[in-house]
Amino acid sequence: MIPGPEERPEETDVELIERWKRGDSRAATRLVGRHSQALARFAASSGERDGIEELVQDTFVRAFASLDSFRGESTLRTWLFTIERRLMLDRRRAERRSRETVPVEESDNVSEYGALDSLIAEETQERVRRSLAALSPTQREVFTLRVQQGLSYKEIAEVVGSTEGAARVHYHNAIQKVKELLRNE
Amino acid sequence: MNKCTSSEINELLPDLEHGRLTALARQNVEEHLAGCESCREELRIIRIVKGAAAFEPSIDVDRVVRQIPPYRMPTLPREAPARARVVQWLVAATVGVVLIGGGALLRNRQTNSRDARVVTIDSSHALILPESMPSRGLGVALPQVRHTAALSLVADVQELSDGNIQQLMDEMDNFDALPNSEPEPVFAVDTNEGR
Repeated sequence: MIPGPEERPEETDVELIERWKRGDSRAATRLVGRHSQALARFAASSGERDGIEELVQDTFVRAFASLDSFRGESTLRTWLFTIERRLMLDRRRAERRSRETVPVEESDNVSEYGALDSLIAEETQERVRRSLAALSPTQREVFTLRVQQGLSYKEIAEVVGSTEGAARVHYHNAIQKVKELLRNE
Repeated sequence: MNKCTSSEINELLPDLEHGRLTALARQNVEEHLAGCESCREELRIIRIVKGAAAFEPSIDVDRVVRQIPPYRMPTLPREAPARARVVQWLVAATVGVVLIGGGALLRNRQTNSRDARVVTIDSSHALILPESMPSRGLGVALPQVRHTAALSLVADVQELSDGNIQQLMDEMDNFDALPNSEPEPVFAVDTNEGR
């Protein structure tokens, strides 16, 4: 018995993209299902508080609209992270502009990273959350992409628009800081 | 705690955790971990941080997919019809021929007119014009031929009488072959270097 398109076990992203281009919407469902959780986690780790699903949706809409510009030099997931990160930066810029008239309080910086507030209950996880909050935004991005998503330095550099060497340094500084903070708690 | 001395192995710890290592690399890292407390602690932290992200946000995949627009084949710029292309080629060829022919004609005419303006002056200082060229309206100033006085000695200086010498000196005073214009005035420039 020949397996149907839905039953193909390990179709690559490129194969699914080709199927979607030929008009198979189920290929899009599989691609979204494959990558949406990772995108949501990356958004949460990067400090997004609200509208994570909307952000993930915007990422896919934008990605599918410009799939012809995806040259396959990186993995699809890395490319999606890049798009999502750009959307997050746009959101933050827009938020900053809308808050320009409101005086900035000291606590804003401290509570910037709060995505996992309601999600991490255990004490250890709470300590991790506090440690990550102490990192700079770039260190946090690089660290979570490396540790939580398992991306290589090359892929991280692509996502954050940096170099491999810079990503390596950010990761090294981040892990040292997290190690120190967790040790002192 | 001792600091890890193998940064190459240390860098692979997240890859070990995500199962991205080959069997050989995995074995090397595990052997290193057995003797490196610093890396063991780092791996523990990596596991904690990775575990802390075990958050599963609820993403409605179908809803996301519904928002994705259908694929549109990129449209290539439309090619001009065959007849229009032939006309374009003809126009281009005509313009080319006109330009090349016109340029050659113009160049030929310029060469001829330059030849017609060649004049010569013979030993009697008379202008010799080509037959095709009218003597008037040349558009160029013809050289003015002028006879100038010349001095010459017909005998040795000792044989000249006082009168002849006086005459020669008078002639030399009036001889206009020498420049009679005054030298150009020289303006002193103060460069303040002496101050």
